Amino acid sequence: MKKHKYISMILSLFTLAFIACDDNLDIEPEQNILTETAIGSPKNISNILNNAYGTARSGSSYGGGIAMASELIANDGDLWWNGTYVDPAEFDEKAMLADNGFVHDIWMNGYDVINQTNIILANLSVFTDTYEKEVTEGEAKFLRGLVYFDLARLFSKPYVAGAPNNQLGVPIVLTAVLDPYNLEYPSRNTLEEVYTQVILDLTDAYELLPPSNTIYATKYSAGALLARVYLEMGDYINARTMSNDVINNSGSSLTATFAKAFNNDENSQEDLFAWQVTSQDASINYFNLFWAGRDYGGRSGNPDIDIEDQHYDIYDDGNDARANFFYEAKWWCTTKWKYQFGNIPFLRLAEMYLIRAESNFREVTSIGNTPQNDINKLRDRANASLYTSVNLATILMERKRELAFEGFALFDAKRLGKNIGSIPYNANQLVLPIPLREMDVNPNLTQNEGY
Amino acid sequence: MKIKNYFFLGLFFVSSILIAQEKKISGVVKGEDGIPLMGVNIVIENTSKGTQSDFDGNYTITANPQDVLVFSFVGYGSIKRQVGQQIVINIEMISDNTFEEVVVVGFGKQSKRKVTDNIASVSSSDINNIPIASMQGALTGKAAGVQITQINGKVEGGVKMRIRGVSSISSSQEPLYVIDGMPLINDDESVSEAPINPLISLNPNDIESIQILKDASSAAIYGARGTNGVVLITTKQGKSGKTKVSLNTSTGWSEATNKVKWLNAAQYVELFTEASTNSYGAEDTWLTEEGGYFDWMANGKDWRNGEVDTDWQDLALVKGSVQDHNFSISGGTDKTLFFISAGYNNTQGIVRGNNLDRYSFRGNLDHKISDKFRAGINTSLSKTKISRIGTDNSFSTPLQAIAQSPLTPAYLDDGIVPNNETSIYYNFLMQEYNGNWDVNIFRVLLNSYLEYQLLPELSFKTEFGYDNNNQTEEYFAGSLTESASTNGYADANAIQSDKYSINNYFTFAQTFNEVYDVEFVGGMSFEESSRSRQYVAGTGFPSDDLQTVESASEITAGTSSRTKYNFLSYFGRATFSIMDKYLIKGSLRYDGSSRFGASNRYGLFPAASVGWIISEEDFIKDSETISLLKLRGSYGLTGNAGIDNFASLGLFRGTSYNKKVALGPYQLPNQDLKWEKTDQVDVGLDFGILNNRISGEIDYYIKKTNDLLLNEPIPGTSGWSSITRNVGSLTNKGFEFVLNTNNVMSENLTWKTSLNLSTLDNEVTDLPNGDIVVERNIVREGETISSFYLVEYAGVDPANGDALFYLNTKKPDGSLDKTTTNNYNDAQRIISGSPYPTFMAGLTNTMSFYNFDFSFTLQGEWGASLYNEGGKFQSGNARYEDNQTADQLNRWQNPGDITMVPQARMYSTNGQQASTRYLEKSDFIRLRNLSFGYTFPKELTQKFSVDRLRLYFTGINLLTFTDYSGYDPESSYDDNGNSNIQKGITFYSSPPAKTFTIGLNIDL
Repeated sequence: MKKHKYISMILSLFTLAFIACDDNLDIEPEQNILTETAIGSPKNISNILNNAYGTARSGSSYGGGIAMASELIANDGDLWWNGTYVDPAEFDEKAMLADNGFVHDIWMNGYDVINQTNIILANLSVFTDTYEKEVTEGEAKFLRGLVYFDLARLFSKPYVAGAPNNQLGVPIVLTAVLDPYNLEYPSRNTLEEVYTQVILDLTDAYELLPPSNTIYATKYSAGALLARVYLEMGDYINARTMSNDVINNSGSSLTATFAKAFNNDENSQEDLFAWQVTSQDASINYFNLFWAGRDYGGRSGNPDIDIEDQHYDIYDDGNDARANFFYEAKWWCTTKWKYQFGNIPFLRLAEMYLIRAESNFREVTSIGNTPQNDINKLRDRANASLYTSVNLATILMERKRELAFEGFALFDAKRLGKNIGSIPYNANQLVLPIPLREMDVNPNLTQNEGY
Repeated sequence: MKIKNYFFLGLFFVSSILIAQEKKISGVVKGEDGIPLMGVNIVIENTSKGTQSDFDGNYTITANPQDVLVFSFVGYGSIKRQVGQQIVINIEMISDNTFEEVVVVGFGKQSKRKVTDNIASVSSSDINNIPIASMQGALTGKAAGVQITQINGKVEGGVKMRIRGVSSISSSQEPLYVIDGMPLINDDESVSEAPINPLISLNPNDIESIQILKDASSAAIYGARGTNGVVLITTKQGKSGKTKVSLNTSTGWSEATNKVKWLNAAQYVELFTEASTNSYGAEDTWLTEEGGYFDWMANGKDWRNGEVDTDWQDLALVKGSVQDHNFSISGGTDKTLFFISAGYNNTQGIVRGNNLDRYSFRGNLDHKISDKFRAGINTSLSKTKISRIGTDNSFSTPLQAIAQSPLTPAYLDDGIVPNNETSIYYNFLMQEYNGNWDVNIFRVLLNSYLEYQLLPELSFKTEFGYDNNNQTEEYFAGSLTESASTNGYADANAIQSDKYSINNYFTFAQTFNEVYDVEFVGGMSFEESSRSRQYVAGTGFPSDDLQTVESASEITAGTSSRTKYNFLSYFGRATFSIMDKYLIKGSLRYDGSSRFGASNRYGLFPAASVGWIISEEDFIKDSETISLLKLRGSYGLTGNAGIDNFASLGLFRGTSYNKKVALGPYQLPNQDLKWEKTDQVDVGLDFGILNNRISGEIDYYIKKTNDLLLNEPIPGTSGWSSITRNVGSLTNKGFEFVLNTNNVMSENLTWKTSLNLSTLDNEVTDLPNGDIVVERNIVREGETISSFYLVEYAGVDPANGDALFYLNTKKPDGSLDKTTTNNYNDAQRIISGSPYPTFMAGLTNTMSFYNFDFSFTLQGEWGASLYNEGGKFQSGNARYEDNQTADQLNRWQNPGDITMVPQARMYSTNGQQASTRYLEKSDFIRLRNLSFGYTFPKELTQKFSVDRLRLYFTGINLLTFTDYSGYDPESSYDDNGNSNIQKGITFYSSPPAKTFTIGLNIDL
């Protein structure tokens, strides 16, 4: 009898153990929130928007990756690639391979931003405050337009003003992907279609955004970017209109000295839009990493991108602050990216003066101001002697002096039909390959010629 | 109560002198080793009269001549002796397992003879004298079908154990480790990409035996985690009898198994001057001119007259050392057994700055409370301290120094401060000089059990296990290091991993009619694992002497996280044997895990096996030649749940931009996520010939994994890069052959040989969404997982020194176009090899001759290749400034030159692209370990009360036979250590150590 008592006691303990445990299989993550929650409130949508800025600011995209691709591919002797990474060396050599890791990251990161903006745009209905809703929509479209613009000009043959531009652009994806069951395997849209989308997004952003919006995109960030896009498309009339609008109405002004436009913890008065860098950023600042000396946070090449003698020839005045905006590490570095945690100026008012000057000159107008005055405004700020007259060549040279190492080199070369050394401006090897991993995954994509 | 009475009764009889009509019998009871056994029960058969042997094994008992004495003792076979006319009866007890070898299986033990599974056993004697810090390392080459590879020569480096091939693409590929019944934490907690072996904190000397459950029928009792095999570790326990005190101490030194030949200063100057000439013309003397680049490198030294010729390799790969000391006390009575050990291991790695100290303690106790109750507790504590070095992909890792120019002096003129001023890359010596990286691992293991014998045939056992892995890593880089720009950098990372498990199960065993043996095991288990992490990093240090984050002027990063998962399982197993000939076994496991979507949370894992001991049949039973012939077959289903804890949910995560809160997409949902399931069929034959002098096993298995948990790449245009899905299948097939022979068995000479051979054929059989390519590796239907996918190198154009590649484009007839091109982008990638061996072999010989013993293990692997990702820098015909392997001197120089090394063109690509140029076969045979010992004669040692004194020499990796030209055929890139697909890649990966030690075993 005693024995049975034991058994039943143990058996009941045993069953207890069985039952007690079953609920324990429901465990919720503590570091993540469910998608439904993330897209369910205005506050969270705003947080996703902030993340989209952060993603765009990643080293591989606007934290320096895109600019470095542009500068190195367009390099015909101004720069010397001195780093250990193979991928930028391929840019410099104009011998990219389809598995180039930096190209891969530009693509993947770009579409990551696009998807985040698509998620925001698909869930605007959670907003009850119309102003908040409009600003959010405007910012999302600013970012989406921006990314499509840069992807299009990196992965496609140059845009030709007035032509149908049926050359392959990049796939346009406008729907949010949060559900794996409706994954798309898109093919590439034409370049014209992509530019149309860019103008559409940026125009909406211009309409929706307020004139000031802390560090985030404003009406005039969108306007300035539109001016850049129109200039690239050879639409000088619209480029002039937008740049003039920004100069007159944005409230921004050039910094007192050239040096003050760079290496700032806070945006300068000249910044129409800048990417924020703090010491807390998980994402690395590629501008600093590859352009700065080792003692300032740069890589082991010290710096990886060395400024060569040839470059200094573009300066026509020894007093020009821009001609002296360099410092010596093991090799020579640009001072623009010296401070590891400085914000990255992205749309500077100076660029607007250059666009207005060029557009006015090409259209033979003086809307806002004369090209000569606009150019002299920049020269004056940089302590360079003033011009008594300007022509297209001097305007473009001024553009090079002002915007050097900021990522304009390749796009300006293609826009202006300037060859890179002996390589024609529209050569296959100046167009990035569609990343190999993307070709491997999506059978509907067509690779660029030459890869 | 009963046993106590018995005991007193015995004592009473011993002390009694009243019973005069019977005679007094005395004697000594000893074990096989001649050591007296205390507490042996001596009973007169069919009576309750009995006694026990005392401390020296002596007993006395009074008995009649017609009585039969029964000597019995736990762990030994009982012996019966008729008293007859004898008055002195000395007995040598023989331990049980020589009568019938017992193997540990999941939730129980089984007689080896009746096992219908494929289980590889490794005993303590195979591993204990190998002074290697990692438990897995000691197993290499000992079991068929088991591949064990340490990632590279770093002492803490991760170890990969692959049992019967790779069964998963994205899920875990590691086996389940179970120690004394409790699943172990086996998560890499390294703060860097390079894994730390999670089992480094276990002392291999505490291990009694290891059973590797390879087939489904043995592993399926572990259900959802059985697919990759199960490694059952049993720790040592005392034996009743005389208390044994053992000391095993060894010390030795080590060096790299191999070094590679690099250019010396003169050769460097020659090759790079030529490379520059080819790129820029001879008139451009920027390298060699006064104040030129070479002058800069030489930092004031006169390189033109050979004043500087730095051998960076010798600075990186240094002489290491090993010390291993273990002390244990074990023993017990028939009621209580104990084992206590303390161990210390110090390994100074062969890679500069890399070393390990491990202090460990173990206490095992087993006690019989009463006839029905048994309880036991095993605990172990260990502290492991590791000095780490950078991952293979960091300038601060020593072996990257081979990229530095031999013209660069390693140190400044003072000979103390490393020269970081004129080194092409960051000088790794600076890290040692001005930084450190320390890891402390504290590990606590506890297993306890209570067993109650409800009925003679029914018992209940409850087991509680607890595992705590506590790891902190602290890193500091001072103001002279790579962190100069921020005036120093420090971080600290702490991990607390916890796992507890509870097993409750019944065992019912009975023999019916002396013909039918049945055993049922049934129960449940619950297991919960949790992990938390805290991390903080800071920059800006007032002094290089202040190295903790407290002194940082700015905290730059910080995080903490918590996560948890659990398993709830029910299991059952039934074993039948009929007339000791026909064996049937079936098992069932029902597993639930929090990791899976609510709709697919549970999985059922059945297995069955049959065996036929042919040698028990009448027609063969009396055969002189055949002592054992057993045919067995099994089929079962196992699972794999090695995925992220919340893989089925759609998730966002908290991030920040501009120090403001942000939410980023983290994971696409997949509510249908379910267990990855593996079917495995195994047929085997066990044989023993000539009284088991020759014995062995032959097995063939087919292991098919379906519903692969696959991190499937998806178009990046979606904003995502991959999703975990159940798609695709793969198959592993192979033969395994084990042969054990007792070649010589004379009194003074014994020689045993054990050979194992295995083949492995892995094939991805179904991959619905096409190829998965990750850099150099591809997963493709019809091919081995992780095959190399590369452009095929075609050598050098003799006319102009251009590197050539085969086009390998598909021609209309389906064949490949073998035309060569110098335009890399025109060439197509092809499958060009596999990172996994297709054939493996291990051969162990053990000999003893008088007092000498000698053993060695040879191990070999065939069929794998290694791709050198660093090849473009190291052997890239002077494209980059990096020092080159000496073979680059064979570069093309003049039209007509026939060579495989293209013309040297500085800063201009010519053959450095990823191609088969950097892929090489990595077949090897290695003398994995060798030991040679001498045991001093007992007569001599016993004068000093020493039972055994053995002096030995052990060598590890003494010889390697290979055509592989890189560092080592087993070294791979530790940044890929946790990647399932990127395999067989090497990148500045250090070779393993070749170790020589001398040691002493002392048993008191």
